[in-house]
Amino acid sequence: MSNLLTQFAAANAPPVGPGIFEALGINWQMLILQIVAFIILVWLLGKFVYPWLMKSVDERKDTIEAANKAAHEAQDAAANAEARIEKLLKKARDDASEIVATAKLESAAQLSASEDKAKKRAEQIVTTAQSEIDKQILAAKAALHNETLELVALATEKVVGKVVTARIDDSLIANSLKAVE
Amino acid sequence: MAVKLSRRRITHYVADNLATGTDVHNTLMQLAGYLVDTRRTKELDVIVRDIEYALAERGLVSARVVTAFKLSYVTRQAIEDVINSRKKSHDIQLQHVVDPAVLGGLRLDIPGFRLDTTLAHTLSTLRTNYKK
Repeated sequence: MSNLLTQFAAANAPPVGPGIFEALGINWQMLILQIVAFIILVWLLGKFVYPWLMKSVDERKDTIEAANKAAHEAQDAAANAEARIEKLLKKARDDASEIVATAKLESAAQLSASEDKAKKRAEQIVTTAQSEIDKQILAAKAALHNETLELVALATEKVVGKVVTARIDDSLIANSLKAVE
Repeated sequence: MAVKLSRRRITHYVADNLATGTDVHNTLMQLAGYLVDTRRTKELDVIVRDIEYALAERGLVSARVVTAFKLSYVTRQAIEDVINSRKKSHDIQLQHVVDPAVLGGLRLDIPGFRLDTTLAHTLSTLRTNYKK
């Protein structure tokens, strides 16, 4: 098209004297036409093509920015989620440690209490058994004492029954009467 | 039915009659009849004990002696001396029982006083007092 316009301008241009344009090989009419054509082209492009193109580019840019933003948000969310998960895990670990520690303490306390109880029970059993043994020893001693006493009395009866004569009896009676007087 | 008399009155009546010696047999028959009639035969032992007390107050002491052997004269005299020292009496009726089970010593019972120095009693005391 530019070539066509150049040929058209050359055919219709009046002959001029040799000037700077001719020296340079420039046809000023042709140049003006080209400038006008260029301006029209620019105007057309600016009017119809560039806005659509820029709009498309802007939309694309917006889309990319939105996607980028969403990606950032997702990344932030992921980071937050990770931090939250880490925090939760830490809390869970702390809780678990606390529960284990508490369980250990309670277990130790229960064990200690059980040991104390068993110890007391054992001591009580030993004390009771000792007391029972003491009682039985005392009872056995008393029984032995009584039996010995009975045997002594019985033996004395047997011996005295054979030993005491009328004379000895008179003496016994006299002594007892003297004691009364 | 006879009038109910107090034990004290019965005792004094019988003791007076026994002390004076007036119709002893009849008095004792009266006592027995009265106790049967008034259904107080269960009080006989207590009444006899009271009569012995009343007689002792009147100088008549009824004593019971238990020994393992027969009493010699000296021992009997000694016993009567002890009774006299306890109860001022002019008449002592000594009832003597020989019981070999007492082993030795004597058991003397007079109203208001008992002396038991028998070996059987001593052994019994040993058994009871020192038993645990």
